[in-house]
Amino acid sequence: MTNPINDEAVKTNLHASKFSADGFLGNDNRSPEEIVAADEQAMKERGIELRELVALLKSAYQKARDAFGVEIELRPGVTAVYYESMGWIPSPFPGDGVFEKGEVTITETQTGRQLILTPLAIHLIETYRFFQGIGCRYRIDPVVAVELLG
Amino acid sequence: MESKKHSIQINNGERTLSAPAGDSLLSVLFKNGILVPSACGGNGRCGFCRVNITEGAPDFTDSERSLISETDRLDHVRLSCQIRVGSDLKIELPASTLKAKHFSGILEEKSPLTSDIVGLYIRLVNPEEIVFVSGQYVQLRSPMYNGRESSIRAYSIASPPSDKNHIELNVRFVPNGICSTWVFQHLQVGQKINLTGPYGDFHLSESSAPAIFIAGGSGMAPFHSILRDMAERKIRREVSYFFGARTQADLFYTDKLNRFRQENPWFRFIPALSNEPENSDWKGERGLITDVVARHFPDCSKHEAYLCGSPGMIDSCLNVLTRGGMPKDKIYYDKFA
Repeated sequence: MTNPINDEAVKTNLHASKFSADGFLGNDNRSPEEIVAADEQAMKERGIELRELVALLKSAYQKARDAFGVEIELRPGVTAVYYESMGWIPSPFPGDGVFEKGEVTITETQTGRQLILTPLAIHLIETYRFFQGIGCRYRIDPVVAVELLG
Repeated sequence: MESKKHSIQINNGERTLSAPAGDSLLSVLFKNGILVPSACGGNGRCGFCRVNITEGAPDFTDSERSLISETDRLDHVRLSCQIRVGSDLKIELPASTLKAKHFSGILEEKSPLTSDIVGLYIRLVNPEEIVFVSGQYVQLRSPMYNGRESSIRAYSIASPPSDKNHIELNVRFVPNGICSTWVFQHLQVGQKINLTGPYGDFHLSESSAPAIFIAGGSGMAPFHSILRDMAERKIRREVSYFFGARTQADLFYTDKLNRFRQENPWFRFIPALSNEPENSDWKGERGLITDVVARHFPDCSKHEAYLCGSPGMIDSCLNVLTRGGMPKDKIYYDKFA
């Protein structure tokens, strides 16, 4: 099945818009399909299953969301904090609907490595295998995600 | 050749519009001064421009199916931007939407309330007065800046309806947020502001049942309006107001609310901190706001509740309150959707 990330309308929506200040591509010069392909390759090399990764992300997001901003420990040395935000953001993919704006910051305390999880970012991974471009605040690098959460 | 026209009857004939066939319902409403809330400019992406179409509706579009729940679809809820006028229509709009207007104003005061929330006090210029019900919200339009597009975001009104010449808003900084970044980093006292409204049906009911208010962060705003309105209109109804924050630094309006409590014996203010250091001087409640509410009201079956906060906070509060016996139809909230 063709990934709709190749649709021109979607490619337009991935850039900065009235909904997303910096868009979904960051400062990545690759095309969206190249970003998807590269992340798929990285996952393949590490033996990362998409379904398992998405389950980890959803679980981490929900645990932090349920704590209302109190820092929680997901595993030794990895913390998560939920930052609430009112309102909703639409997916860049037409027909997907809108997603809560809250975000969860995952931090590896020893190294300071961080990931920011949002419901929309997790949806884009689950549905389109799109982890967002390098330099994008909301990119969830699959290898880093597994190292922090796996 | 003149295009075919159709009639759009609103709220059982309260207004009737004539619309060219093929135009979007949203644009027809806008052209006739009816400002249905919208944040995406009619692209079927934000889901805000909802109307009920009781007669003449075409089939649902894919965008509508993704943005409107099945329950709402059965209730004839539609996105006006997705409706191409192809026959006579009968539609229903909230009374507040028919009254919404464009406003321009001048920012008179910009005060930091916490490290990530500012209070804006806006004097209305054109028109100079606004009529609203406490609990309603306006849509603030940020202009283009630094290459960022103009955007529209919803903020509850914090001022009381009696202050007809001003609008007070509490704006929380959202990382990468287009509108909040403009407010925090670019908006200056004396600058012009554009907004539309008022919108929304979040307001105090006519009941005399004791009320539980629950808010976090900028969710303070509608309650700041409602409480002052209650005092001014001499509504003596028992209110317990729970406000959740992480630390003392995230609390604001505390002095005002404590003074308000002294002047109004029907009111209790219960701030609760979830992340305050154990050894601090804080003497108030600690823990998640939902746990604090449950401790105070293990049985809340006779109360009504009013919630304003993030979707996560609202979902958790709904669970706690219904577990305490509160009927769902006595829980009022606005998720700005």
